[in-house]
Amino acid sequence: MARWLSFLAQVAAFASLAWANSSTGDSVLVVLEKELQREQFSTFFNGLEERGYQLTFREPKAKSPAVSDADIPQFSHVILFSPTTKSYADDITPQSLVSLLASNVNIIFTLSPTQTPISSLASEFSLILPPPHTPLLSHFPPRDTPPTTIPISISANAPFVTPGTSPILFSGVPHALSTNPLVVPFVHAPPESFAAESESDGGADAVVDAAEKGGEGLWAGSSMGVITGFQTKGGGRAMWVGGVDVFSDDFAQSEVEKGVKSGNAQFSQDIAAWTFQETGVLRIDNTTHHKVGEVSSPETYTVNDRIVYTTHISKYDPTSSKWVPYSGLTDLQLEFTMLDPHIRTALKPLAGVPGAYQLTFRAPDRHGVFKFVIDYKRKGWSHLSSAITVPVVPPRHDGYPRFLSAAWPYYAGAMSTSVGFVLFSALWLAGDVRDGKKAKGKGKAE
Amino acid sequence: MRSILAVTALLAAFANAAKLGISSGHVTISSSDKTLLQSESISIEKPLKAPLELNSKDVLKLSFNVVEKTKKGDDGSAAQPHQTFLRFYDEVSGEEGIQPLRVTSSGKAKFELNMAKPPPSLPPTPAVSNSTHALDKPNPLTVSLILGSFTHEPLHARLFDLVLPASQPAPSHPEEASFHSLPEIKHTFRPDPTSPPKIISMIGAGVVLAPWVVLLGLWAAIPQSLPFLSSPSVLVFTALLGAFEGLLLWYWVALKLGQVLAYGAILGIATAAAGNRALSMLASARTKGM
Repeated sequence: MARWLSFLAQVAAFASLAWANSSTGDSVLVVLEKELQREQFSTFFNGLEERGYQLTFREPKAKSPAVSDADIPQFSHVILFSPTTKSYADDITPQSLVSLLASNVNIIFTLSPTQTPISSLASEFSLILPPPHTPLLSHFPPRDTPPTTIPISISANAPFVTPGTSPILFSGVPHALSTNPLVVPFVHAPPESFAAESESDGGADAVVDAAEKGGEGLWAGSSMGVITGFQTKGGGRAMWVGGVDVFSDDFAQSEVEKGVKSGNAQFSQDIAAWTFQETGVLRIDNTTHHKVGEVSSPETYTVNDRIVYTTHISKYDPTSSKWVPYSGLTDLQLEFTMLDPHIRTALKPLAGVPGAYQLTFRAPDRHGVFKFVIDYKRKGWSHLSSAITVPVVPPRHDGYPRFLSAAWPYYAGAMSTSVGFVLFSALWLAGDVRDGKKAKGKGKAE
Repeated sequence: MRSILAVTALLAAFANAAKLGISSGHVTISSSDKTLLQSESISIEKPLKAPLELNSKDVLKLSFNVVEKTKKGDDGSAAQPHQTFLRFYDEVSGEEGIQPLRVTSSGKAKFELNMAKPPPSLPPTPAVSNSTHALDKPNPLTVSLILGSFTHEPLHARLFDLVLPASQPAPSHPEEASFHSLPEIKHTFRPDPTSPPKIISMIGAGVVLAPWVVLLGLWAAIPQSLPFLSSPSVLVFTALLGAFEGLLLWYWVALKLGQVLAYGAILGIATAAAGNRALSMLASARTKGM
């Protein structure tokens, strides 16, 4: 919570139209279908251009500019404002969009009650759409606008959204969310809302029939999402918006209730900021490891060595377009693994060095090839992963403890042998020559 | 359709919209052998305070009539709204289930909840360890009624709280655990090798050195004649031999094999030469004496 608040303070600074920029690039391709006009979304597009993005517009069936050329993405981000288009040019297919996401290109998808190839792609992102032609309806709160235009308040838990955003107006389809942890729900449907085709009270029976007949039951309640993000493992982010009207000028300038303007303008910039990898983006700058008391990394470690592991982590700051060292991760963990983690402990921030996290630990007393593994995944944040391989060897022949007190008798014995040898040699050389004296004595006696 | 600036007939409709409400609301709980356990009448104005509890085979039956409420708040004619939902909501975990109800043309609606065959719209109610109760019970579900209509003012009101038998928790994704802190793992090291107490080592060293005492004592008792002890060549040789032992001691403490072999080679040549001289001196002394 604390890191969101500190981050949200930065976004609040951005909200005063400061320059903000993505960490992956500025070029945005907007695929706008013929039925929609660029002027209908001028608030959203002008907001993006003011923040430094270069927008390029094209129609779904236009052949140029293509999203990718020979598997190389031509744009850093793609916005698909084509919710009712059923056929695209050859470069936009569900497969090509997925491969774009794998190449770290971010995509905003918009849906509508009509079924299109893009809506069949939603199930690949663990989002289950209702049957076709069933938009989201809510009779609450009682209002003048049609039931398909729904004010939804932004909960305080919504990730990466400016706190205090007014309720937004929404019109489109909901989707059922799965438990996939890569799914980042931004806005849930209101609890009284449901997806239905009817336009008058006579359609009540159809609603109950749909619930009893369909395998998934009725699309109703706050467990459905309407605006949901998806963080892929490769880095690219996708945003699934249930209706393109969330971005429209009409909704941005309307009032949700007496005297309260809708939060659509600010909210659409916030979700574009998350999708285009401005907010919630982390990276590892570098990692070092060495023995306690040394500075450089040795080639191998010995068992039971005390090892110091340091990593530097930065977060992207969109207002200054720079990577800034970030010490706010409270639950970063390091694993020292050989097939299975032998040690898993918390990497705590190092006081005095911004962005540094350090751990001192004792290498296990098993030898082998170990890895320092950081695998940090949290909902809504980009993934951090690092694996450094180090060998851990048993002690060398002279690496064992010496001069033990248990060996004193043996030291005494060995030294006795040496002393005895020297003493004996000296005494033997120094002594009398007895043979000569005996011969002398014998000779005299004769 | 997209422009909300278009004023629709709904504006006029809501200006004089009637409110919706229920009448003759009734909830009963009966056990599996049809004996009535509890029966309450419910209304929007007075929701039940005490939670209703169901066991794993009980049946809960809810019935009410949907009516329009007149301006004075009395029950008017029957209504068939577009949306008649029961919402089961767990306030603590946020789990929710929506059950649509069918309303007949005379406004009657009923709902039967048989815990032996629970409907899929019920949210999971896992047992929660609660220090004040002996048995773990799930959190109560708030049951509320949602009435929505194109032509009337909608209604969302709480009816009663419901405590269901404990269920399995909601299934979680296999990778969900890796998105949170994982449990810490500490390595248990082999215990450090220990030595026996120093007294025992000292006693052992004393035992090893004891024969010296005997030797020196016996030697002192024997008359010895050492005429050549102080002769220079013997002294030199003895000193070099002592230096050799010193080199070995130094090797034990600090030197490496290459170094000790180098020093040892030098010392060895010197010692051999000195020993040769001492022996030849002794030999000449012996022949002279004969």
